[in-house]
Amino acid sequence: MALLVDPVVVAGRTAPSRVLFGPHETNLGDGRAIGDRHVAYYEPRAAGGAGIVITETASVHPSDWPYERAPLAESCGPGWAAVAEACHPHGTLVLAGLGHCGGQGSSAYSQSVMWAPSRVADVVSRELPMEMEQAEIDAVVEGFAESARSAVASGLDGVEIDAGYSSLLRQFHSGLTNQRDDAYGSDRLRLTREVLAAVRSVVGSAHIVCLRLCCDELAPWAGVTPEHAAEQVALLADRVDLAVVVRGGPFSTSAYRPDGHTSSTFNLELCRRMRDAAAGKVPVTLQGSVVDPDAAQSALDEGVCDLVEMTRALIAEPRLVGLVRQGDSSRARPCILCNQACHVRDNRNPVVSCVGEPRSGHETVEPSTDGRDDLPGDVLVVGAGVAGLECARVLSGRGHRVRIAERADRAGGILRAAAVGPGRERLARLAEWLIAECRIQGVSIETGTEVTAAGLDVARADEFDVVVATGSRPAPLPFPVDGSCVVVDAPTLLATGTAGLPTGAVVVHDPVGGPIGVGVAEWLAGAGLEVSLVTQDQIAGTQLTLTGDLADANTRLQRAGVRRELRAQVRGVEGGRAVLDDVWTGERRQIGCAVLVDCGHRLPEEDLWRQRPDTLRAGDCIAPRSVLEAVLEGRRRAMDIASGAAAGRAPAAAGVAS
Amino acid sequence: MSAGARYRHLFTPLRLGPVVVQNRIVFSAHLTNFAADGMPTEQHAAYYAARAAGGAGLIITEEHSTHRTDWPYEKLIHGFDPAVVGGYRRITDAVHAHDVPIFAQINHNGGQASSMYSRLPVWAPSPVPDPLFREVPKAVEPHEIREIVDGYALVADHCAAGGFDGIELQCSHSSIVRGFLSPATNKRDDRYGGSLPNRARLLLEIVAAVRDAIGADRALGVRICGDELIEGGTGIEDAVDVARLVDATGQVDYINTSIGVATATLYMIEASMQVPPGYAMFIPSAIREVVRVPVVGVGRFKDPLQADRALSEGLCDLVGVVRGQIADPDFAIKARSGHATDIRTCLSCNQECVGRMGLNRWLGCIENPRTGRESTIVAFPERRRKVVVVGGGPGGLQAAVTAAERGHRVVLFERQDRLGGQALVAATVPSRAEFFDIARNLIVAARREGVDLRTATEATVEAVRAERPDAVIVATGARPARPWWAGDHPRVVDVRDVLEGRVHPEGRVVIVDELGFHQATSTAELLADRGCQVEIVTNGMVVAQDLGITLDMETWNVKAHAKGITQSVDLVPMGIGDGDGEGGNGTAVLTLQHHPTGTEQARTCDWVVCAVHQQPEDGLWRALRGGPCPVYRIGDCVAPRRAHAAIIEGHRAAVAL
Repeated sequence: MALLVDPVVVAGRTAPSRVLFGPHETNLGDGRAIGDRHVAYYEPRAAGGAGIVITETASVHPSDWPYERAPLAESCGPGWAAVAEACHPHGTLVLAGLGHCGGQGSSAYSQSVMWAPSRVADVVSRELPMEMEQAEIDAVVEGFAESARSAVASGLDGVEIDAGYSSLLRQFHSGLTNQRDDAYGSDRLRLTREVLAAVRSVVGSAHIVCLRLCCDELAPWAGVTPEHAAEQVALLADRVDLAVVVRGGPFSTSAYRPDGHTSSTFNLELCRRMRDAAAGKVPVTLQGSVVDPDAAQSALDEGVCDLVEMTRALIAEPRLVGLVRQGDSSRARPCILCNQACHVRDNRNPVVSCVGEPRSGHETVEPSTDGRDDLPGDVLVVGAGVAGLECARVLSGRGHRVRIAERADRAGGILRAAAVGPGRERLARLAEWLIAECRIQGVSIETGTEVTAAGLDVARADEFDVVVATGSRPAPLPFPVDGSCVVVDAPTLLATGTAGLPTGAVVVHDPVGGPIGVGVAEWLAGAGLEVSLVTQDQIAGTQLTLTGDLADANTRLQRAGVRRELRAQVRGVEGGRAVLDDVWTGERRQIGCAVLVDCGHRLPEEDLWRQRPDTLRAGDCIAPRSVLEAVLEGRRRAMDIASGAAAGRAPAAAGVAS
Repeated sequence: MSAGARYRHLFTPLRLGPVVVQNRIVFSAHLTNFAADGMPTEQHAAYYAARAAGGAGLIITEEHSTHRTDWPYEKLIHGFDPAVVGGYRRITDAVHAHDVPIFAQINHNGGQASSMYSRLPVWAPSPVPDPLFREVPKAVEPHEIREIVDGYALVADHCAAGGFDGIELQCSHSSIVRGFLSPATNKRDDRYGGSLPNRARLLLEIVAAVRDAIGADRALGVRICGDELIEGGTGIEDAVDVARLVDATGQVDYINTSIGVATATLYMIEASMQVPPGYAMFIPSAIREVVRVPVVGVGRFKDPLQADRALSEGLCDLVGVVRGQIADPDFAIKARSGHATDIRTCLSCNQECVGRMGLNRWLGCIENPRTGRESTIVAFPERRRKVVVVGGGPGGLQAAVTAAERGHRVVLFERQDRLGGQALVAATVPSRAEFFDIARNLIVAARREGVDLRTATEATVEAVRAERPDAVIVATGARPARPWWAGDHPRVVDVRDVLEGRVHPEGRVVIVDELGFHQATSTAELLADRGCQVEIVTNGMVVAQDLGITLDMETWNVKAHAKGITQSVDLVPMGIGDGDGEGGNGTAVLTLQHHPTGTEQARTCDWVVCAVHQQPEDGLWRALRGGPCPVYRIGDCVAPRRAHAAIIEGHRAAVAL
């Protein structure tokens, strides 16, 4: 039986494991070139045991410029060579991701018309592409071939051709987007076959040609269905050396790499079916949300696939494969499928990262926390939320003796509450992992322990370094509420449950538009309550654009029966009615309100710090924000103490480098 | 009357402390997204130099950040990094070559930011999250306030070293100083919060520190928000008091003004054509009454007459003309030299300037394909060619103008008896009338450049070839396409059928919006004004989603409410049938699928008007290509899109000749 960590031979080249680090947007580029930050990002994944790294998909022709930092193949040669040089010493194979987004790209950067099989506007951009003539088709085929030539000349092991959820080739495959009446319409695989033939003729049989193929557009009325895809796989199987089965299309871009609201095993059946269709002619890779090594191994064991793409798992934990190999998979930092920092196809060009491992994507600017300090000391961390736990984890790993004092009777802080509700459960794994790592490294976590200013003084007198990570508290509501309704803040409600709530309508006040308000509303509706979500925006959950969950979240709310009160400013609650004003027209309306759940911004819990303002602090007690900032600041405070220990002196007090 | 006399006030020099400006036209500060890796670029220099060459009286650059905690958008200039000075010097040298002074705006955006780029807590007076960024900021500690002040002084130093003639402190629409000034965001109980003098303390400390840094021979200005337009925020009375405090320091040489908060009420800062010109002049006029220093007024100044009048009426001492000079860098020189009618007037459409800013893209202009591209040199053609342009819409006109400006002989055929193409149609809706300028400006330019304009002339293959052209540019536009579900139902029509007057819907009208822009909303307004009961349905999550980009969303929704226009989302048309109304042309029933739930709904109505994608008129291109001379295809006849695409492609084709 093949193990996930076993080598696998593809086109005569041996990958050291069956784990793929798949192509994904990073915004790490140097303009449109693969840059130094890419190299620093891929190398640790190779060192950590990834079998195959596929670099960020590069446009094969200048007509494609889907996002500002999208690599352009003709600019990528030196970058590809640098990635190969960095990854090959670890035995990892490196393929160049090659693609063309067609009508799913953007005209904003090229300021030129997008190319597509037919004049069908993309669902998201609504921009009409031009229908490609033969000249454009020939240019694309030539672009793939020239790009592949450059990739192998740069020392890569081959290329991956993108026919996935956002690709020109898939647009040719699909009746949604291919309405041509020429040979490329009657034979929708024709362009893909031409591309594969041209690429093969350039790279030969000694290099890998991998195909990322959309096998379900989730639009059965005209799109690619698993039935079509199985036929396509059978037709293409002997033309490629590796296939990656993916899903998603113009109506379902979020289905490609969904967040935790979608089961992590969503792609198993589709992949199994495609592997059957491939009939052993080509190894098949499972893509999707498989982030647990055990689940990946099961997929191999059950014949679902031959390799597993574990991109997000490796963003969270570059060392994953090595840890599995050592039998230490429980030590791997879990991917919680939140998509909050790694899903970066966004106009703002955020750099890829991970809420649990903020050094990801920032390898050249954030210091490593590895290493041990020569003069380890004693540290008191106040608060066992994410910031405090991360601080303690890093310091204990560097040899310090750490004690965490937590007021509540359980460690994990507000992340525990955030992990309540459908699709949210996985978030708790990060807290659990942090607690487990702390315990393994000898951190004493003392729950039910309140620390006062006097306690801080005592610790300091005993030469403890002290970090305050006391989290947040609810802010006063910005409107009056009479005694007719129960007011509860979201974390409190999520932690205590709905049992104590009075009957009657629940109003979820969500001025943030993030995952919490939507999650609370879904959870309450799931408990059978009558729920309205009130937002000042035109759409509920606006901030979910970054995770890809926006449209899905609204559909879930709708199906759960949650009323969305949009463009609404809560003016107050009176006599069991919430008074709402339209933010633009001022039109007033009222809705029933027996319970008001406050999902608004919170305030720092800073009473302790205020009494001793020269104390280091981290996370929400500076300003309540997300998990990423808590981890980052917990780590930075740890490194502040570590650098003090390295220098043999006390760390600086709370400085500007928060 | 000479031009100088006509705009007598506009072209009177004025002293701003140590600096004399030759006229009152200010290219006021605005974001460009030209920076790279936090540094100013050659494009900055070329961009500002073009406006200096065009005669602007004063240029004020976009903001330079004063501290590393301030990084709200990716392409912000990191003024606190000493490496900026070289780039500053290139900008100031380029502008000074035209004898125009240039000031640097320096700023810390405070709480109007996120930590996405900085990975540091956002700094603000109090932990009050910004309505756009929605990140709780850190309430700055006293030592951090000192650091903020030091940051301003440091950047002022860099600016002086980089050759700027003055400094402007942005205390207006996106600034930590405004944050401190505003009771809505300053909840402090120390000496920086509470009373106005306390809230203004940071500003006054910065003024003193910056003046100290730049000395007496550079100008210092302060830009004040006259009305935040938010609940509990700064209003005009407070703003006037702030101006008084600033003036009383004796350290400040001028006051600039603005209205609104960038992250809450941006639609009033960079108002589109929906907001009347001069809407913010109550601010400079009120401030001017209480201060001794000159005051700048801003807000949709589109032509020199309007600007001159604001001066003559004593509303302000200088006029900020930003979008006007984005569209036409030669705004000032044309006004001064008696060619005001040649000014390529700004439409206030916000599509490619404001719209691109919000999307983290470089600044452009719907009308001016060179905006944002000034640093790219365009070589002059080697040979004069004969060019035939087919189609007198914006794309064809732009191609003709660019070709003629480059010395080519140009004949333009237009089938209709009027030039302007679909721009004319778009501008028929009263609130969109200013869009007509896109056509007017191009027609004026085409006439000026001697383009042979042949309207009401069908360009057949023979007619084109008879001109014996060296190249043909086909810009034949698009025609409405019938959606698949419409069949041949007589009550399903296109927005163009309505706007061009071919049909006159009455009664209940459903408008189907698949374009997400002005087409559906304009038509809805027009029909509602004519007494129709209008509903817009869209397959999107929001009707006219892209109005958010151009800052038209707020005004549209206010008008829609007033006109009784309803809006329904997530709906896909599935078919149309006859209702049980009277006669063959009776009531129609539109079937809609609510796609998130898969449920069907029906709308009984009298007309269905489609704002859907058109199809290209590409027959002539197909007939001409492969012929004896190069044939270029531009604009909607390639793929029907928005006007900027036609303009850029027209320009590009003409440059390629």
